[in-house]
Amino acid sequence: MKKYFSIFTITLQEYFTYRLNFVMWRVRQIFVFLIPFFIWRAILGSGGAIYGYNFPAIMTYLFGTTILNSMVMGSRTADLGWMINSGYLTIPLMKPLSVFRFLMTRDAADKLFNLIFIMVEVPLLILIFHPPVFLQANFSFILLSIFSTILAIFIYFFINVLFGALAFWSRDIWAPRFLLMVVMSFATGSMFPLDMLPKVWQTVLLATPFPYLLYVPLKLYLGQDPTIVAAFAIQIFWTVALFIATKYVWGRGMRVYEAEGR
Amino acid sequence: MNLQTLKIYAKVWLRLTALQFQQQVANARAAAAFLIFGKVFRFVTAFIFLFVIVSQAKVLAGYNLAQAVFVLALFNWGSSLTQLFFRGVYQFKQKVEDGTFDFYLLSPISELFYSLFSYTDPLDAMLMVPYTVVLGWAWVNTGYPVTAVGIIVLMLSLVAMALFVFSVHVFILGIGVKYLEVDNTIMLYHDLERMAAYPIDIYGKYISPFLTYIIPFAVLATIPAKIIFGQINPMMLLIFVSLSLCETYLALRFWRYSLKDYTSASS
Repeated sequence: MKKYFSIFTITLQEYFTYRLNFVMWRVRQIFVFLIPFFIWRAILGSGGAIYGYNFPAIMTYLFGTTILNSMVMGSRTADLGWMINSGYLTIPLMKPLSVFRFLMTRDAADKLFNLIFIMVEVPLLILIFHPPVFLQANFSFILLSIFSTILAIFIYFFINVLFGALAFWSRDIWAPRFLLMVVMSFATGSMFPLDMLPKVWQTVLLATPFPYLLYVPLKLYLGQDPTIVAAFAIQIFWTVALFIATKYVWGRGMRVYEAEGR
Repeated sequence: MNLQTLKIYAKVWLRLTALQFQQQVANARAAAAFLIFGKVFRFVTAFIFLFVIVSQAKVLAGYNLAQAVFVLALFNWGSSLTQLFFRGVYQFKQKVEDGTFDFYLLSPISELFYSLFSYTDPLDAMLMVPYTVVLGWAWVNTGYPVTAVGIIVLMLSLVAMALFVFSVHVFILGIGVKYLEVDNTIMLYHDLERMAAYPIDIYGKYISPFLTYIIPFAVLATIPAKIIFGQINPMMLLIFVSLSLCETYLALRFWRYSLKDYTSASS
């Protein structure tokens, strides 16, 4: 356990190596929030509702995606592909530790780091813009949402490992990763709530693992959609399916890994 | 810079771009396909977002759906066309780390030219065809006639856009020389730039003037769109060209200042 704690603290220290880069990263988080905030304020700020969302509901969704983004999608596993291609993976492989636990520890450090800063930034944004935010009082919805977020963290980890593992067979991993990021920015519901889309689109998207990263945990928190509990069951299915797929692909990848570059 | 020098630079740029294309065709065909699909997907989903919300709300900060779509199409067209030439910024950190930048400094060609223009992606140029078609469609859809004056406005806007985008990229390279790590600075630029995809008027009385007159992202779409919609005088463009020239001057000063700190430590 001590060795993983060391990995955890070293990962946190790494963020302060390039301080200007770090500042830019945090400033980015605020701008990522501001764009949808101003769009929604221009549309719903003076009252009314679209697709059943009024201004407080959409603000809650927006703040929710900002916080969930930092928890679920804050990750260091994105550089797994580089680790494989550069041969750096050999280092954790030769050490007396599990590679998956090594990757998860780095992810946990990233998430904690993100969460600490987002907990400062979000109140700051609330203080400046005074957006109306809905606080859930029903404890069962909060509990379901927390459980769903934990599953989302695992789903994202498995997706990252699967895409990183492509590097066992190809050197061109940047492009598939770019495509994944683009698809996720839409299909996770980070741009706007997915129930604003036509029913058919929602059905198609809910059949993929992506809405279970942000949209479903948030809808569970809001407690708006009665059918969302069924989606929770599908989230469990995706977690298990992606875990099995990750184990399989990783096993196949290790057979062809040649530590090229080391 | 005389005509002969310009010819030399054009020749070097063409050669570098041809090499880049050959490398993609030889080594990264699948990657190129993923990249194109990703860009098209991002382009389409941005329109879906706009359509989903403005079709219900009917109006976005005084712009109807057709006008908002035109602003988005214009942003996408201008941003893609100008950035097409400045892809070198993404490779710059690596070049400083592995010492390649030292060779740029030793070369008779400008180190800034090499750093910025040596990775023009021809696949991006291919995407300009559908982007231009969508821009034309969006323009016609607004109901404002596509006139010669309108096209001249667009071309002049492109000059202001190109100068502004150039200045930002030079500034990022300067940061790269001084502080090495520029990934988040590039991403911050993209986030700020994305604010220009929607009418700048939505950002309120403090941020909107900032994005118009201090860091003029508005020139990427809102300003030319407003001129075409007849909301502001076309002569305003001269102000934005001048502003972009000032930003370019400052960025070049910063670049030279950054170079003074370069120690070639990593090579």
